[in-house]
Amino acid sequence: MPAAVASQWRDRQRQVFQSVFQTDIAQPTPQPTSSILFSATGQPFDRPAASLADKQQSTQSSRGYRSRGQHAFQSKTLGPSLHTASPPPLPSAAATISDDQAAYDRAWDIVTAHIALPSSATADDAFGSTPTATVTTTGTLAPELQPQQQQQQMTSRRRRGQDRDATTSVSASTFSSPGSGPGSSEFYEAFSLLVNARALLPHATRTDDVLTWHVRRVHAHFAQHVIPLLAGCVDEAGGGGDGEFGDSGGSDGKEEGQQEDQADAQADRHRRTARQERGKGNYYEKHMVIVMTSIRTLEAALRLYFFGMDQLLSGFARLADVAPEAAREAHLANARFRRDLHALISASVPRGLMRSVKAVLERLASTILGIPSRDEVHLGSEQAARPAAPGPDDLKVQAARERLIELVQQLHNVGLTSERFQVLFAEVMDFLMSEFVVGAYASLWTAPDAPPFSTSMDTSSRSAAQSVASPCIASLNDWVENHFARLSFEVLACIANSPQGPLPVTLADLKTYQSLALGRLAALRIRELFDIVLAWPESRPALEDLRATITTAARRKQLTDSFSRDLQTRLLHPGCSTLEILQTYISIIRTLYALDPSKVLLSRVEPGLRLYLCQREDAVRIFLAGLLASSDEVRAAEKAKEAWKRQADTTSSHATAASTVSRLGPRATNLAQLGLLLNKSVSTQGQSRSSRAAPAPSSDDADLDWSDLSWMPDPIDAGANYKRPRRSEDVVGTLISALGSEDVFIKEFASVVAERLLALVDPAQRFEQELRVLELLKRHFGEASLQACDVMIRDVLDDSRKVNAVISGRGGAATAAARRGGRVSTTKTTTTTTAAGGEEDGMEYRARILSRLFWPGLEREHFLLPAVVVEQQQKYEAGYEGLKSRRKLTWLNQMGQARVEIELQDRTVTVDCSPVEATIVYAFQTADDGNLDEDVGAVVQKSVEELYEQLQMDEDLITAALQFWVGKGVLRRIGGANSSTYAVAETLDEEPDPTVTAATTIEPSAADDQPMEEEPAVATVGTNQSMSAKERERREIYWRYIQGMLTNASASMPLAQMAMMMKMLISDGFPWSNEELQDFLGEKVAEGLMEVVGGKYRLVKK
Amino acid sequence: MSFAEDSHSAAPGGVQANKLSGARKNAEPGQNAAKRLQTELMQLMTSPAPGVSAFPSADGNLLSWRATIEGPDDTPYSGLTFKLSFEFPSNYPYAPPTVLFRTPIYHPNVDFSGRICLDILKDKWTAAYNIQTVLLSLQSLLGEPNNASPLNGEAAELWDKDPALFKTKVMDRHKDVEDD
Repeated sequence: MPAAVASQWRDRQRQVFQSVFQTDIAQPTPQPTSSILFSATGQPFDRPAASLADKQQSTQSSRGYRSRGQHAFQSKTLGPSLHTASPPPLPSAAATISDDQAAYDRAWDIVTAHIALPSSATADDAFGSTPTATVTTTGTLAPELQPQQQQQQMTSRRRRGQDRDATTSVSASTFSSPGSGPGSSEFYEAFSLLVNARALLPHATRTDDVLTWHVRRVHAHFAQHVIPLLAGCVDEAGGGGDGEFGDSGGSDGKEEGQQEDQADAQADRHRRTARQERGKGNYYEKHMVIVMTSIRTLEAALRLYFFGMDQLLSGFARLADVAPEAAREAHLANARFRRDLHALISASVPRGLMRSVKAVLERLASTILGIPSRDEVHLGSEQAARPAAPGPDDLKVQAARERLIELVQQLHNVGLTSERFQVLFAEVMDFLMSEFVVGAYASLWTAPDAPPFSTSMDTSSRSAAQSVASPCIASLNDWVENHFARLSFEVLACIANSPQGPLPVTLADLKTYQSLALGRLAALRIRELFDIVLAWPESRPALEDLRATITTAARRKQLTDSFSRDLQTRLLHPGCSTLEILQTYISIIRTLYALDPSKVLLSRVEPGLRLYLCQREDAVRIFLAGLLASSDEVRAAEKAKEAWKRQADTTSSHATAASTVSRLGPRATNLAQLGLLLNKSVSTQGQSRSSRAAPAPSSDDADLDWSDLSWMPDPIDAGANYKRPRRSEDVVGTLISALGSEDVFIKEFASVVAERLLALVDPAQRFEQELRVLELLKRHFGEASLQACDVMIRDVLDDSRKVNAVISGRGGAATAAARRGGRVSTTKTTTTTTAAGGEEDGMEYRARILSRLFWPGLEREHFLLPAVVVEQQQKYEAGYEGLKSRRKLTWLNQMGQARVEIELQDRTVTVDCSPVEATIVYAFQTADDGNLDEDVGAVVQKSVEELYEQLQMDEDLITAALQFWVGKGVLRRIGGANSSTYAVAETLDEEPDPTVTAATTIEPSAADDQPMEEEPAVATVGTNQSMSAKERERREIYWRYIQGMLTNASASMPLAQMAMMMKMLISDGFPWSNEELQDFLGEKVAEGLMEVVGGKYRLVKK
Repeated sequence: MSFAEDSHSAAPGGVQANKLSGARKNAEPGQNAAKRLQTELMQLMTSPAPGVSAFPSADGNLLSWRATIEGPDDTPYSGLTFKLSFEFPSNYPYAPPTVLFRTPIYHPNVDFSGRICLDILKDKWTAAYNIQTVLLSLQSLLGEPNNASPLNGEAAELWDKDPALFKTKVMDRHKDVEDD
């Protein structure tokens, strides 16, 4: 042993120590040196001082000698290496020295053997399972396990500082004997010798502190045996299932593992979820096993460690009077020892174990909090799967609670409740809070245990309602307070170090929890807002949640942003009909109004919707149809809705709100609810006006309504030009302003009204709905722009009726006959004439006089009416001109209605139909004036061509009318499907019987006074016809434009330029897109009228 | 003439020129004129008169039109097609448009640069006239020239004296202008 080198090392070592531990006043403090060694105190074993230790290794003897009790525990985390680097004895030894040294060594051996750790003790699981037995048998276990122990140590020699452990272990085996009788007295003697070495054995220079030694031993033992064991626990349990736990090996991987832990947390959760579904119940038990074995292992190890410590302490205690200093220090050291050991444990726990702890925590906590675990979800019914706050006397919950507290207590005892555990616990609680909120309240709009929320909340009482928390919020707050916070409190109280410390969960914390939970509820509701809108008004309580939680501008913005996104993806796409969009829009208006009466939210959501509705050409039409819906239709729609709801309730109502708006209910054919709304708004308006008139005479001026106690300032996120809206939902008004320009609206309204006015035949019809809508529109657009509609209604309601009355009165009572509402348009303003049908014909004839200038879309369709009708027309005309001079009637033959009674051989058919159809079927009457000779045996049959010649009617109309009659069973097609010949079906037999003679008379039937139902089929046919006629004409005009353009402006033009010019030049606007124009031009090219040369169109020169 | 040629040469795509003329025209209070012309165009399209047609020029300037007249039957111009240009003042219809024949025509009341002598285009103009009436008047002028105040004296003479020679001259003079 080269002494020079050794002393060199020793000096340096001492310098390092003294520079840091300046409490050692026995020696002067040398010059300070860098304290890098200690900066690394928190590091695990054998890292920082490795190089130093390696060099010292060669010089040191098998034991440490220095006695530095007061420093030992501070420096111990540096690991054994530093201490084994104690300097060798000074070479100036004498004979006494060797004696003292020997005595000391003997004492040392006795003491250390007594408290030696069996290095593989914890390898035996059973060892931990009998706690009481273990304590007493600690000593005996060591020798039994001796061979094993040696073997293990041989394999682990690569660890530095191992030699000494080996020798002590061996010696321990020889010295330790069962029981503590003679051993203990020996131990205490030796112990006092050791402690008082300086006094009793002054010459023993190579002394060491036994406490330090024990600490080092414990650490080494822990690193070598316990950590692999813990890893083994995890591996053993987790290894069978999959490889997830396979990587959690030993102390080397632990740092890495710690870092990965967080990164993996998320993915881990998903994986676990997936696995959970596979493994179901096994999952929890498996983790429980891991946790429990780990705990037992640690408990056993700790018992070992503390046993040694206790022995030492009791030694110190005996010596308390002799060396009070040392005893006190020992106590201090003991506390440190325990604390550091816990830190050591929690820092070196394998990742897999923490994961298991988390899993177990999650499971238990979710039970306590009333959140069903996933496997229960699978097993149980869907209803039961909803999380709900558990009752106070739920046994399962109580059991889980006890189990959890016990577990936490155990974890705390073995030092596993460090910061890492707290983070883990926080994560679990956070996760469970989200789970609970989502699970308990997703698409559930009334609190599960609360009474159903009264939907009769009046918007006017909203200020009162605002202060009342919604049922969901109330129940959530309750849950947080009584379950969530309670659990937190219990667990945190368990792991709190001092029971006297501040409460782990304060009232402020509770408030924080509640606001966190509310925030989550708000996020949930924001995500669900679209479904809430769809489910309106059942979803009203959910809105209360939202209103209570959407309090900041940021959340409001989040709400509108998220809702706008939902709108784009779920509503504003070609898959939704305009009707659906409008219905949803109405719901949106009402929902958002309820949510925010200032309508700021609505105004922020609307633009995209409006923009999209502008692309829907039928939007205005559908909307008007809804407005004009009669009360019957409204009732029908309501009934249908209820029926649908019932049906939906019986079927699985849990169908997730898919991306379609199918939840809207039945495919209502119109927005009948609009009509209802309109009625309601009119009536409520009247009421509110009368009720409000008294207290606030100037209530029209909303801004100056000083007596409004529910006044609220404008929302902070209102725009600059924000104007306080009227205090009502005003669905209709909002929709009107949303649906594009005034012109479009009025035009559309005029055509809709025209259609309805002409379609209704009942003379008693007063068109109340139409008038109401007209009034409404007048309020919006002013009187002047709706003048045409006024005129139209007057035409039908007053003038025509008057004239009819006058003329028919003159001609005698028109009691008989089919009515023909031929339309008449005069060239000037309107008046009416009635030609009373010749009574000999049994025919009543009435006309409606329409003012040409005010009625939209009056196209004339030319065909020849039956002679009888023409006769009526002429009479009527004569009468009219007598009544109103200088006015001219132009008959619009294709419009109007006819009631036809057809007497067939075996039946009589009465049909309300259009004039075209009536004309067609009349043509099947015999030519000789309707008096079919019964001797004529032949059934009348005609082909389309014949009809065309006879009636000069458009062939399409003829075909359509023939189909109509075939559908009614009056006519049948003869001679195969391709034939264009039709015959009267005199009997209902399939087989046409040529011998049958029948009187096929189309006799104008006696009109009964019952109101005729509007025949939808007829109406549609008429509309289509006139529409297509209009369209044809439009195309014709466009074609002239194109001709004019190519003739004059430029002989050839590209498509884009043509489209541009058309758009510029046509005053009504040119609605076609370039593609439509291209199609149109393509047709013309196909017809040979145009050609394309070099990408430009030009006319073909003749 | 110079103006007509200007806009003619500008029409094919002289963006610069178009812009200039457009800006000049639009700067003036020509909104009413444009509106009226749009209405007239609609009338022309919905109820076209046989043998005549008109349309705004391809540069999109509503105050500049092109028109076509087919020579009436039973006149020397039968079977021929004549192109004209209309330039409307911004106060149209309270002032007459400037109308020029762009197709060379041999006619007593039209000079060699296409200018027309027609009273309704001058002092007899009223706001009741419109493009269609002007075109129809011009069409009838082809068959019934006003030889009392000719711009083309030779043509006025030949009209009565030698219809055959007149016809030849008409055919010689006529040349289809390829616009653009």
